[in-house]
Amino acid sequence: MFFKIAVRNIFAYSKRSIITVLLLSCTTALLVFSTAYMDGSHGRMIQSSVEIYPGYVQITHKGFRDNPSLENLIFDAGKVRASLKDFPGIAVLTPRFESFVLFSSEEKAVGGMFTGIDPEKEMHVSRLAASLKQGSYLTSNDDAQVYMGRELAKRLKVGVGDQVTFVGTGADYSFAADTLTVKGIFQTGLFDFDSRASFVAKPYFDRMMAAKNIATHFIVQPADPSQAEALAAAIGQRLGPEYESASWQQTMAGLVQAMRVDSIFGYITLGIIFIVIFFVVMIFTLLVVYARVREIGILRAVGTGPGQIFSMLLLESVLLGLVSVVLGGLIGGSFAYYFHINPIVFTSFEEQFKQYGLAMTAMPTDFAPLIILRDMAVMFVLSVSATLYPIFKVNAFKPIEAIHHV
Amino acid sequence: MKQPFLDVKKISKTFHPGRDVQVQALVDISLTFNRGEFVVIYGPSGSGKTTLLNIMGGLDSPTAGDVLLDGERITGVEEKRLSRLRRDHIGFVFQAYNLIPVLTARENIEYVMQLQGRSRSECDHRTREVAEKLAIAELLDKLPGEMSGGQQQRVAVARAVASRPKLILADEPTANLDSKSAEGLMDMMQALNEDEGITIIFSSHDPLVIGKAKHSILLKDGQVAADEFPG
Repeated sequence: MFFKIAVRNIFAYSKRSIITVLLLSCTTALLVFSTAYMDGSHGRMIQSSVEIYPGYVQITHKGFRDNPSLENLIFDAGKVRASLKDFPGIAVLTPRFESFVLFSSEEKAVGGMFTGIDPEKEMHVSRLAASLKQGSYLTSNDDAQVYMGRELAKRLKVGVGDQVTFVGTGADYSFAADTLTVKGIFQTGLFDFDSRASFVAKPYFDRMMAAKNIATHFIVQPADPSQAEALAAAIGQRLGPEYESASWQQTMAGLVQAMRVDSIFGYITLGIIFIVIFFVVMIFTLLVVYARVREIGILRAVGTGPGQIFSMLLLESVLLGLVSVVLGGLIGGSFAYYFHINPIVFTSFEEQFKQYGLAMTAMPTDFAPLIILRDMAVMFVLSVSATLYPIFKVNAFKPIEAIHHV
Repeated sequence: MKQPFLDVKKISKTFHPGRDVQVQALVDISLTFNRGEFVVIYGPSGSGKTTLLNIMGGLDSPTAGDVLLDGERITGVEEKRLSRLRRDHIGFVFQAYNLIPVLTARENIEYVMQLQGRSRSECDHRTREVAEKLAIAELLDKLPGEMSGGQQQRVAVARAVASRPKLILADEPTANLDSKSAEGLMDMMQALNEDEGITIIFSSHDPLVIGKAKHSILLKDGQVAADEFPG
């Protein structure tokens, strides 16, 4: 009977019901979409930042991350490679040797990062190849060919086919110098990186820098990037205490922190919206329930207990809340799905995004059904709890006061 | 000595409509009613009829005094127990009908029985029985908004009677009805009183209605001015 009364009241007070459902479903849709957008943009930001160059998992010799000196290099890269051969979860494993040199062109001398890479494997762990702007990408056979960042090339005032010389220190502290031809110029969008990074094929690098079988670090591309942390831990166990294996969450702790701060601000904004909605729903329910005080008085007079009245009014609020969050979830979820498939493109914000490490303008939302259900549950609890005070208030009337209430 | 069915002991009620303003609605009223009586409480407007009925039905609490229904104290008890008491033992008929607007006549009549936990078939049977007695069988599927005042009041009486309460309290049940409907309703209530043995106490200031009671109480200025058994 209470269910029947609750349902009929929802239809009898249709204006109230429609406004409540609209208000709550719009808020639910907003929450679902905001979360999908926030998670999607963070995911993209992480993906973009991690994949441009740093990689998901980095293996270094113990102490290298705190003190990246020549004493802390991986001196037996073959041993690491052999230990991790066919290791489950690793899609690609590639060594790098990063050093710093002084470049000079006909007009300028500029310091920069000089890194030996395996060009073919590097294509699977970073976006260096995909960031090509001019010329062509490296191959393992390239000798004295350099692939450099656009800003670095600008600073040196060189283009594809021009020559630059470098002067640096080899792995054995020897003097290293040679003349390189610019084979390709890349642009990742990360200004700092593009203005200092340059790459050569590892065989050439090893010869010039006395770095055969030596690496500063290895980059691992996990088969499932979301399992990077677990994979890093497993690799660490396999390699033993001589090495350190860190996931991108550790190597890019600053980025993780920035995401957290951004999420906190996002949730604070949503929280403020929720507080406003909470009070709007509460005041609205209070007005509507007060208009029904007499009816509630009648129910009390004929023997309905305060608990039963409470249950009946709560049931109304639960039903309205359910309809609203399901509707809002469907709307918000549909938008989240659509923009997951068709990412939002922010062409005019390209430059601003680059400053934040985003080398792309298309921002897909994150369509995660469990997160959508969580958001719907949050909105449901919020909507029902907003009606508790009005229900308590109206239930506190004595039957005779309620019947005579105007 | 036989205990009265309804015992009103030294009831007083004072209202405070504003700061430093008080209205004494009932003054030291004592009354006794026996089981199966058909009682009218009458008197001019403001004499305290409604207040007295509300207190006797546990809808309002007195400032002083006690009310005992079948030996059970109904004043000063907690609201949950009072709700059960009203549900199981007291039926109300209000001047303004006060049917539940979203329920049909049938559902309104069955409402209290369902609160009592009666079975579906028992509710159906009893609803048909009282609907026939009150000549509302054809109205059972209508909503209150689709019925006339007289029809709504008959449904309200059916609701009060259906759960077989010990006592029915009716506050000016004919006040909003034309004289023909009023007389018809009173005849039906009288028949229910005789057939089912339910004690019915109603208030009125209509001489035609007052004349039907077997026990009449005149209230004036919140006090009992006369307590007679004309029938």
